[in-house]
Amino acid sequence: MPEILGATDLVVELGAGRGLLRRRAGVRAVDGVDISVAEGETFGIVGESGCGKTTLARALLGLQRESAGEIRLEGRAVSGLHPRAARRVRDAVQYVHQDPGAALDPWWRVGATLAEGLAIHGLTDRAEQRARIAETLAAVGLDAAMADRYPHELSGGQQRRIGLARILLLRPKVVILDEPTAGLDLSVQAAVLRLLRDLRTRFGLTYVFISHDLSVVRRVCDRVAVMYLGRVVEHGSAATLFAEPRHPYTRALIAAAPHLDGRESGPSLPGDPPSLRAVPPGCRFHPRCAAAAAGCAQRDPVLEEAGADHAVACLRWRDLDAA
Amino acid sequence: MTALRLLLRDRVAAFGGLIVLFALVVAIFAPWIAPYPDDAFESHIMQRLRPPSAEFPFGTDNLGRDILSRVILGTRNALLVAVAVVVAAMAIGVPIGLAAGWREGWLSETLMRVTDVFLAVPQLILALALGQLIAPGIGAAMVALALTYWPFFARTVFAETRRLRSALFVDALAGIGASPTRILLLHVLPNAAPAVLVRATIGMGFTILTAAILGFLGVGAAPPSPDWGLAVSEARQHLPEAWWFPTFPGLAILLLVLGFNLLGDGLRDAADPRLRRSRR
Amino acid sequence: MSTPVLQVDGLAVHLRGEGGLARILDDVALTVPRGGTLGVVGESGCGKSTLLRAILGILPRGAETPSGAILFEGRDILSDDGASARGRIGFVPQDPYLSLNPVFRAGDQILEIMRRHAPGSRRDHRDRLIELFRAVQLPDPEGALRKYPHQFSGGQRQRLLIAAALSCDPALVVADEPTTALDVTTQREILALLRALVADRGLSLLFVTHDFGVLAAICADVAVLYAGRVAEAGPTRAVLDAPRHPYTRMLLACHPDRATDLAGIPGTVPAATAQPQGCRFHPRCPIVQPGCAAQAPPMVALGAGRGVACPWHEVALA
Repeated sequence: MPEILGATDLVVELGAGRGLLRRRAGVRAVDGVDISVAEGETFGIVGESGCGKTTLARALLGLQRESAGEIRLEGRAVSGLHPRAARRVRDAVQYVHQDPGAALDPWWRVGATLAEGLAIHGLTDRAEQRARIAETLAAVGLDAAMADRYPHELSGGQQRRIGLARILLLRPKVVILDEPTAGLDLSVQAAVLRLLRDLRTRFGLTYVFISHDLSVVRRVCDRVAVMYLGRVVEHGSAATLFAEPRHPYTRALIAAAPHLDGRESGPSLPGDPPSLRAVPPGCRFHPRCAAAAAGCAQRDPVLEEAGADHAVACLRWRDLDAA
Repeated sequence: MTALRLLLRDRVAAFGGLIVLFALVVAIFAPWIAPYPDDAFESHIMQRLRPPSAEFPFGTDNLGRDILSRVILGTRNALLVAVAVVVAAMAIGVPIGLAAGWREGWLSETLMRVTDVFLAVPQLILALALGQLIAPGIGAAMVALALTYWPFFARTVFAETRRLRSALFVDALAGIGASPTRILLLHVLPNAAPAVLVRATIGMGFTILTAAILGFLGVGAAPPSPDWGLAVSEARQHLPEAWWFPTFPGLAILLLVLGFNLLGDGLRDAADPRLRRSRR
Repeated sequence: MSTPVLQVDGLAVHLRGEGGLARILDDVALTVPRGGTLGVVGESGCGKSTLLRAILGILPRGAETPSGAILFEGRDILSDDGASARGRIGFVPQDPYLSLNPVFRAGDQILEIMRRHAPGSRRDHRDRLIELFRAVQLPDPEGALRKYPHQFSGGQRQRLLIAAALSCDPALVVADEPTTALDVTTQREILALLRALVADRGLSLLFVTHDFGVLAAICADVAVLYAGRVAEAGPTRAVLDAPRHPYTRMLLACHPDRATDLAGIPGTVPAATAQPQGCRFHPRCPIVQPGCAAQAPPMVALGAGRGVACPWHEVALA
């Protein structure tokens, strides 16, 4: 499949700005990321909180302006634009928030919120709006009467469905899902994941799936990128990545995920990720890495091929494999 | 709906609301309720300074006018002044707050510093100065009050806009391509409305009090207007014999200001989502 | 066998509210043996937080306990004279970010709790707290006393709160989804810490969660709640490997580790004000039988400490 959304050397600086007297320095929440999402796939992005996955998503979307690098959509370069212009160009990319309930204006009925998106995109005919909304609500498995409710009257699962309906109305090609199952009960999560799968087939969507739940990612994603402190440290097909993780961080992350059978394997990962304001020199992961060697504090590893459709940014991945 | 129910459950606020409602009814029907509606302007020197009686329940003033009638007629003035001042202050403060809250940078900074400067100007002194500059009277007083009250709205709306700007639903709107104007007018403003309403209610009480003080100082309403503050001021020369003369207009000021403040406090509680959750 | 640390017997909690009488918990029975770890697991609305509140004595206003008892070390803490025994129940809250006042030093906040619970000099409390900080493996225990909540990471804050829970020298620690707000890597550390505390200090743990993976990692026993009743209970391994109640079977089939086809469970958890008659799961149950709507099924003992509240537990799901 051809690439639909991609980025090269993407850098996003947060918090930088002109103060009244001096320029404030920002932090690089995304620091030199290459990704390539193929049409029709579900592309997972995983990592601890603060690793830059949400910032990356917002930059791809155009809500956060990139500081350097290139973003491609359907083969065209769409970077280097002001947020408003960037959003217009990247209309085919839409974003579903982690907390879809809070993403709805509490004073507006759900139906009005849904209609608003259509109005913004030039569909102002009331009857047509209603028809499209009813059709989309049915597609996400909701009753048309749901349009009369207020956001706080919806359950967690219903809020997710509304969040999906809202962006499906805009006929996107790529949907960025930010933690789409966070805070959901198991049975509701299963239903939402199934719905996502059905919608992907029905509307021919491509998903960028941001999650910290590795069980879910393993289950639904075709390819996965692992992020640490603003960098992609490993990416590859989900099958390969979960079966043969190469990067020590990926290994620790996979080992930490709790499993139904209660097994715990692999090394534990002590401590918290360091602050973006004090990025360690050399390999960013080396202070927490059990396999760190002398060279790791000096050289910054780059992504290198570790197999078919599998790349890892670690200086010692070959040695680790042998061990 | 829940906010209204909460407000009614809050007895103190409901009491404040009752006072305000009562004052509104009195103000609207003042000419029909007042026993001697003509006493707004007519004087009857023969019956001056009569103590409260069946004929004049609140007594009469130094010109023989029925104080009850003048208190009733004064309600309309008090409320009109308060509404006019608050509306004017909102008209200035709300747009400034919205603009300064939404944008970041020099425009926002400038607007808020100007707001701070106005916030620092003492109301009474500005009113006195304006009274000297234009012409003392209720008009100058109102201009002075509006000019010193709008910063409160600007600050309130500024804070609300800053809060809402980072709200997820605003982000989501930007995500689906909504323009800033749409977001501000259709989403931020309605969400900030409760805070503005609370501010306006408290502002009404505040304005009534300040207007009365200005009337008392002689730079507000001019005789023979049935102004409460003016009445208290006129009564000074007849104390302590004619105790009823300042007492009833004074009580009217106290009651209405209290009513607005209690209602405002109650509204603030009802509009605070944190309190809403904890009381459930 | 010695008396269990916590024994909940036939507990019912009702809440009278705007929507009518909510029967949030009904006939709940569970036991935490001394040194044991019991997981209470269920989806939102199953009553697990109400159970926790009943144990901690912080039920919301308007809540009643029309029947049942909560025996803590043999004393009924629902009765007036037994309530004081609650002082020896430690509590670890869900959200370490919300549970500490940001304007006071974290250490001072815990010291305040300690002073209220036990006599002793300032110095004694301080030393004990430093010792507790060491026990929860907080880096630089002495320096931690002077820090404000925001100076700790999420995982460290959860460690602080565990130290606070331990400060009353508890016989039982009650934890309310203590790792939900944390990253998986931090979660693993916290779970390891709790396991170590249980093993080394002879603590008993009641652990409320919605995550079966976390449950499997820390709890020896489990009680699965559905709509305010215990659906199934027993040793965690046995229940997870071979669930018997139709609800548990369907719920575990939703787990991404296990799911063959992500099916979900049709329908939704009933509102507490509109609990169905009889078995509360029957409207959603694929193997519902004629009698299910008539009366609540009693717990069927399966041996080896297992029980299931379904007489049809041997029927295969369609």
